[in-house]
Amino acid sequence: MEVEVFSNDFWKAFAPETILICGLLLIFIIPNLGNSKFRIPLTKVRVPWFLGGRRFKLTGSPAIPGILATGTLFTALGMMVIEAIDGKMDTTTVVSGDIIILQLDNFSRFFEILFLAAVLLASMASLDRIPAHTFEGKKSLEELYDNRRQADFYILMLTTAIGMCTVALAQDLFVLFVGLELASLATYVLVGFHKESKSGAESGVKYFITGSVASGVGLYGLSLLYLEFGSLQLHEIAALWSESSVLGLIALGLVLVGFGFKVSAAPFHFAAPDAYAGANSPVAGVLATASKAMGMIGLIRVLLVIALPETGEEESAVWLYTLATLSVITMTWGNIAALGSTNPKRMLAYSSVAHAGYMLAAMTAVGAWKWGEVDAPADYADTIVAAVLFHLFVLVAFKLGAFLVLGLLEMEGGASRLSALSGLARRDPLIGTAMFVFMLALAGVPPLAGFMSKFLVIAGIVSTSVGELWMNGTVSFSDLHWVWWLALAMFVNSAISVFYYLRIGVVMFLDVPEEGRRKPLPYGASIRMAIWICLVATILLGLSGDTLIDMCYRAADSLNLA
Amino acid sequence: MLIGGLLIIVAGLMAFFPSMSDSDTSVDWISLPLVGFPIIVSCILLAFASQETRARKEVIAVPIRLFTLVASLIPLAISTALFFDWLILVDWDLMYNEYALEKEYVWIESIGVSWHVGMDGLSFPMVWLTTFLVPITIITTWNEKDGATYYPLLLMMGGALIGVFVALDLFLFYVFWELTLIPMFFLILKWGGKDRRYAAQKFFIYTFCASVIMLLGLITLYFLQPEGSGSQYGTVTGRTFDMTVLFSNATAYNMGDSVFLGKDMQNILFAMLMIGFLVKLPAVPFHTWLPDAHVQAPTGGSMLLAGVMLKMGAYGMLRIPIAIFPDAVVYYQDVIMAIGLISLVWGSIVCLGQTNLKKMVAYSSVSHMGVILLGIASMQPIGYAAALFMMFAHGIISPMLFAVCGAFKHHYHSMEIGAMRGMAKWSPFLAVYMMFAWMASLGLPLLAGFVAELMVMIAFWPEYGWWILLPGAVLAITAAYYLWSMQRTIFEGGDEGQPPESLNGETPPDITLSENIGMIILAIFTVIFGIFPFIALGMMDQWTVAFFEGVFNLGGI
Repeated sequence: MEVEVFSNDFWKAFAPETILICGLLLIFIIPNLGNSKFRIPLTKVRVPWFLGGRRFKLTGSPAIPGILATGTLFTALGMMVIEAIDGKMDTTTVVSGDIIILQLDNFSRFFEILFLAAVLLASMASLDRIPAHTFEGKKSLEELYDNRRQADFYILMLTTAIGMCTVALAQDLFVLFVGLELASLATYVLVGFHKESKSGAESGVKYFITGSVASGVGLYGLSLLYLEFGSLQLHEIAALWSESSVLGLIALGLVLVGFGFKVSAAPFHFAAPDAYAGANSPVAGVLATASKAMGMIGLIRVLLVIALPETGEEESAVWLYTLATLSVITMTWGNIAALGSTNPKRMLAYSSVAHAGYMLAAMTAVGAWKWGEVDAPADYADTIVAAVLFHLFVLVAFKLGAFLVLGLLEMEGGASRLSALSGLARRDPLIGTAMFVFMLALAGVPPLAGFMSKFLVIAGIVSTSVGELWMNGTVSFSDLHWVWWLALAMFVNSAISVFYYLRIGVVMFLDVPEEGRRKPLPYGASIRMAIWICLVATILLGLSGDTLIDMCYRAADSLNLA
Repeated sequence: MLIGGLLIIVAGLMAFFPSMSDSDTSVDWISLPLVGFPIIVSCILLAFASQETRARKEVIAVPIRLFTLVASLIPLAISTALFFDWLILVDWDLMYNEYALEKEYVWIESIGVSWHVGMDGLSFPMVWLTTFLVPITIITTWNEKDGATYYPLLLMMGGALIGVFVALDLFLFYVFWELTLIPMFFLILKWGGKDRRYAAQKFFIYTFCASVIMLLGLITLYFLQPEGSGSQYGTVTGRTFDMTVLFSNATAYNMGDSVFLGKDMQNILFAMLMIGFLVKLPAVPFHTWLPDAHVQAPTGGSMLLAGVMLKMGAYGMLRIPIAIFPDAVVYYQDVIMAIGLISLVWGSIVCLGQTNLKKMVAYSSVSHMGVILLGIASMQPIGYAAALFMMFAHGIISPMLFAVCGAFKHHYHSMEIGAMRGMAKWSPFLAVYMMFAWMASLGLPLLAGFVAELMVMIAFWPEYGWWILLPGAVLAITAAYYLWSMQRTIFEGGDEGQPPESLNGETPPDITLSENIGMIILAIFTVIFGIFPFIALGMMDQWTVAFFEGVFNLGGI
């Protein structure tokens, strides 16, 4: 179905996104409602105007923005899930003239659900992490300060969500870039929001500078693409794309830098550990899950939709070998760096670098399939992409969950040392167990969601390397495509990664709590709720992921890679 | 929050058994009674115990201990009843790739995973052994500290181990394979000795690394199978993880009916799978995790670790790689023999130099696991039956060895062989059990270990001839280190003995009643299976014959 912008069908199709924007406007407006009056010029008539002046007690409550944001996200997410889960979604394309701007299909809806779920959990956690103090009486400076930043924080959260949704929907590289920047700029500020420590502001600035350099490089790549092909429409570039265009390849490389920064692939990952360590934990969780997924959309659109190697073309070898090398370097670098980091947030950041490497490996396999080196039917590519999507989705469950547990620790002062976690299982057995489950899921221990996702990614790679060989009769080991070795590299890496994930478990269960952390953990109803949701999702998606796998498969299918 | 935890369990259960309403109405004796029940009960107990304060935990440890004991007796009762046909008539006379009490429920449709369980002559002795050892372990370590979480962990361990043995689906097998690591990791971490942090991590990482390589082999094998259709096959991938289907495909190939895999592919996949199992076994180049884990683990952990967990390696070998790639077994026959022989020799020579009692017993396990590899490498039906019986006999004897070590440590606060002299004077019971267990382990006739060792030797001769002198000599070394350590602890030290310094002049106590009960049961069963090995051996023989017919295409012993 093709709709014009702002037509009736447009509003019908984009109801959840509209709700997000309305929620954003409400957060702007409601805290500012007051008894101000507007004097009509030259008269003495004063008309109530309500914006500004002395704020009403009810609407001026500092808790309002958080509740509004969470409610908005929840409503939008609910609508999307109900729409997507039965799988009977129509593809809606927004056109303006002959330019396709946005496209709503299974793929974009899947990612919107992912983004909203991550941001929703993070903002639920933030209700406790950055609390609004509503009690009467004299407040300390810090409490006043907390209250002042409520509206800013949730506005930025919702902006991030909207920017990410735009990226998921975009069918035009320019629109994609606008959405990416909208989300990025909001996250730069969010990273700097952790003002309790000096490292917060520092990491915000660092993230901003490196991020904007990366975006600049990416934007330059886009302009080169435009120069070469005369269009930024995905489908047009995809049709015109040929590997022999040198300018196109250079442009592709530059665009990769921009998106590679977002997924924190080596060697563009240097800002990630600083940013995650400096940001407050729920925000770091959003960076590690939703922001990474956003970069992944960019990579999928550019690498798989536009620049997928053509069958048998010699030049495509560059594409394949570059991506394979990048993936192996990324996963190894991430894991080895994580081994040496004693800051749990840095460790999670490096582990997220490693996870980016796993996903790049899967994308290499898709390339190998399309290049025709592998004798396999079309649905193999869908299986691999579906595995990547599954991995991105379940990351929201356990990686964000791990960050939320750290957020709970931050509420009693800092989670930037490994010793902050010591004795956690003794102080609060259930939270400690939850953290251990998240760690095991990250390491890929069955039957948790992390195992399932790693399993599917590796199964995808292996299936590509094996292809339809069984039909040929006796299969020799040399018949396997070389992407099989990527699967081995992934396994070696996940074996390395067990070291540092297990270390967290040992610290939590064996060590005695450090001085000043003997009391029970602070009680935050909504952050604990968020952790519980993550825990249940981690276990259930591992035990029976069929519904999600189907969803991922439909999403991958709507990319029409074959 | 507790309710939340329970909800997870219930939801997990519902996810596990999505299609319970099968047309097949016979009772499922495996899924819930043997596997699900221990795991669920222990999860619930752990959830309750974790909510209590430290003081309350001491109080509830007693009822929890009793409750776990009763709960662990239920699987034992069921598995015993299944053996004697008290519940239903089970036909254990099975052809190759036939399973008793088989049950199948679709689990993850898209990639062809099903909850498929069943037992045959290979798995049933192991299942019975597990169900038998869990209550024994609980009784023997009756006074363990922090019992409110300790005993449920033992129970969970038992459930996970049984899951490994009954799984007939590669995915399910791998899930349980890894699941066994988690309770054992906690047992070592929380109740272990001084270096438990190092030992627990090493144990987990070592075996995890090996099993991911095994998993890559399994996935590659999965995709190399022909596509098919049916309820076992995945809707997305078109392949299946079902072992029975895999075995029948492999058999068809090995009989020359169809084309399966090239020789080099078979060899590589075989090697990848074997790495996972050899580390678990453990065989010599990969054995270094075992002494650390054993020395640091609490007595109960060691008993289950040596008794059943090591056998997972041998079981896995016989169940998957050897059954699928018989040609590769022939190809690697000498390598397996060499690894087995090196394990045997190396393990026992290292034993001679040990001053730590538990470490010596741990290395003797390495050496006995080498015997299993020799049995496999012999490629004789009797060798395979011997390997099976060795798994079973060692599963009864080695817990007793570790129970003795545990009692030694518990009462004398020391593990050094020279620390206690003249134990016969102060602890006659412990001295007797020690002597008995040591004798059983070195292969005294009429005790269970002897039967297996003798059978391996018989199978070894036709294949490797005079090489038999090497394992023969090793058995002499085994006798040497056992007798020597016995002499130093039990007898020396004059009339009054020489109580260990770590007791600070107190009178060395004898073992407690619960330790007595646990050890005497183990001793009785060692004698029973030594004198009447055919109780277990009959089933193993049948399985071996069927296995050789089905896999190697050879008939009869």
